[in-house]
Amino acid sequence: MSLSSVGARSRDGYRAIVPESTQEWISENSALLLVLPGLFFFSLFMFFPLLFTIYLSFTDAEPATVFQDGPGGITGFFGLRGVENFVGLENYVSVLSDPAFWNSLGITWLFVAISVTLKVAFGLFLAMLVTSDRVRGKRYLRSIIIIPWALPPIFTITIWRGVFSSARFGLANQAIAVFGMAPKSWFNDRWLAFGTYLLTEMWLAYPFMVIITVSALQAVPDDLIDAAKVDGAGFVHRFLNVTVPSIKRPVMFAAILTAAASFTQFLIPYVFNRGGPGRANELIILYGYREAFTFDAYGAGAAIMMTAVVFIGIFMLAAVWKGQLAEGVN
Amino acid sequence: MTMLESIRRKLARDVRTAIDKPAEFRADVEYTIEGVKRGTISPRDVLIPALSTLATLVFVFVLLIPIYWVLMIALQGDGATLYSTDSAGLIPQDFSPEAFVWVVGDLFIPGAIVRIAVPFTDVVYYFEWPRIVFLDASNYVDTTSDFPRYFWNSLYIGVATVVIAMSLIVPASYAFSRREFAGRMKLLYGYILFTQIGGGLGIAALIALYTIFSSTGLTNNKLVLAVYYAAMAVPFNTWLLKTYMDSIPVSYEEAAIMDGASPFRVAWEIVLPLAKPGLATIFIFIFLTGWMEFIVAQLVLRPENYTLPVGLFSLVDTYTVPWGRFSAFALVYASPIVFVYMFAQRYIESGLSFGGVSG
Repeated sequence: MSLSSVGARSRDGYRAIVPESTQEWISENSALLLVLPGLFFFSLFMFFPLLFTIYLSFTDAEPATVFQDGPGGITGFFGLRGVENFVGLENYVSVLSDPAFWNSLGITWLFVAISVTLKVAFGLFLAMLVTSDRVRGKRYLRSIIIIPWALPPIFTITIWRGVFSSARFGLANQAIAVFGMAPKSWFNDRWLAFGTYLLTEMWLAYPFMVIITVSALQAVPDDLIDAAKVDGAGFVHRFLNVTVPSIKRPVMFAAILTAAASFTQFLIPYVFNRGGPGRANELIILYGYREAFTFDAYGAGAAIMMTAVVFIGIFMLAAVWKGQLAEGVN
Repeated sequence: MTMLESIRRKLARDVRTAIDKPAEFRADVEYTIEGVKRGTISPRDVLIPALSTLATLVFVFVLLIPIYWVLMIALQGDGATLYSTDSAGLIPQDFSPEAFVWVVGDLFIPGAIVRIAVPFTDVVYYFEWPRIVFLDASNYVDTTSDFPRYFWNSLYIGVATVVIAMSLIVPASYAFSRREFAGRMKLLYGYILFTQIGGGLGIAALIALYTIFSSTGLTNNKLVLAVYYAAMAVPFNTWLLKTYMDSIPVSYEEAAIMDGASPFRVAWEIVLPLAKPGLATIFIFIFLTGWMEFIVAQLVLRPENYTLPVGLFSLVDTYTVPWGRFSAFALVYASPIVFVYMFAQRYIESGLSFGGVSG
């Protein structure tokens, strides 16, 4: 961006005031000006709230205190200072000594482990199905099976809530009635409810796995498979020794991403039964959310969210190292 | 409007292909039968693909049953319920458009009088048209849903999000693709990281976001929500558009520069027109962010400003769910996205397969 549009006088003023080396730097990096607005807005709504979460996690913030006009301080500059008090690590101590937190963290990790396994296995199976030579109309099938991806999450999750309705004619109850089983109230039993989360998560995420796996499968060289066939390798051998090694990296990468998505799953437990029965199935983000907004403990909620952020940070690093996420950027 | 024209042409081609498909399929089948009769094609080569295709179709149907199921419930109108009859079965007994009428509500063009004064004269034309009613819902249902209001809220937020986000993203991706500057690689790395995990971090910052919005009096403000969505859309879409722009040959620009075009004209008249498919893709992505987002919207918006997802959830969040109406509402909300998606699918897929993913 040249400065030619600015008047000559101010240009002279600029030359007189700003050191030559700085002028040079600015003219060399002027394209940065095109990037900064986006970066500014993104930081404003992403990093600033994150920093503010850290601040809140060290205070006794609750609606009664945080929304009251308080004294200045650093945050007062933004009009954000309430009458909340700095309490140091108190929130973290009470959160980490609360069995409910450990229950939530445990159930979240269980959710991540099982759902990722299910998603990868099911996605791989479907991808093999819609790239198989024996199936016709694969392109159309592919665009149909990934429809769930195009649907708004709140739409699909509320539909699944209906599927697992405790009423006799909820779809899940109709399905088990075929096998002569009595209707179940799916959300009132801890592990049944957990199972419904898993099934729904799998259904929501399989299109992503299918797309990535399909594009990986299409990149497997045909001559390798043909060579294996000539050598007399059966389907299982071909799959394990030819297909798996060539699709390992993309699938691994997708698994890391989808694990991060599972870890931050909020809508499914929230919509199904608020993480119930009781508070047994509150995944970590929902746990923090409920601490803050249902029980009015913003400080404790922020502390929980920060521990979750640490885990998300680990996921990000894993994605960079293992998935070589940013490879080939220029 | 060459872009609209090209979209129209593509749509026409897709429709024609779809219409021709059955005839083509029949010809294929006839050819195969003929071949089997003559013995040039072995029955085994026909049977295995046919059976596995059939099995796959059945499997796909089972997979998508939840969607089929809400469609069936919605088609039965308000009579559909999960509690008393077996109207929630997979094969409906009777059909009624009632639930859809309830969702859409009255359809009309409001009556108006338009006054046009011809300048510098006393002549004034009045145009008047009456209220034109396409569909009077009161003939079918007692009340109508708030769908139209939610729809306008969502549309407002969606359009505002697109306008704001595009003005942030397009210049940035041009700079990333074509210019050198300090910290370029670091920024790009950061953006790519956030494309993948940003959503989770966004939810983690929810409490602080709500506190900030409330303390500064910005809750229940549609424009602020749109700015938020636009900001969240920056990393992913900047990266996507940058990757698309990378595929445009630099030689076109060099030719323009040789002819003495200014940097701005090069960007505006060479790069942007060539980047249209990329722009269309991020347009859809950005619009859908606002159209689909639920968590932040339900936290900050009050009923008069509810968007469609929040409105949908407020329907279901009661003990007696009106299943027929809920299903119709859900389908009317979601179906446009599916159509847009199916049309744009090949672009979206190709857009997502570059960079990192396709190992």
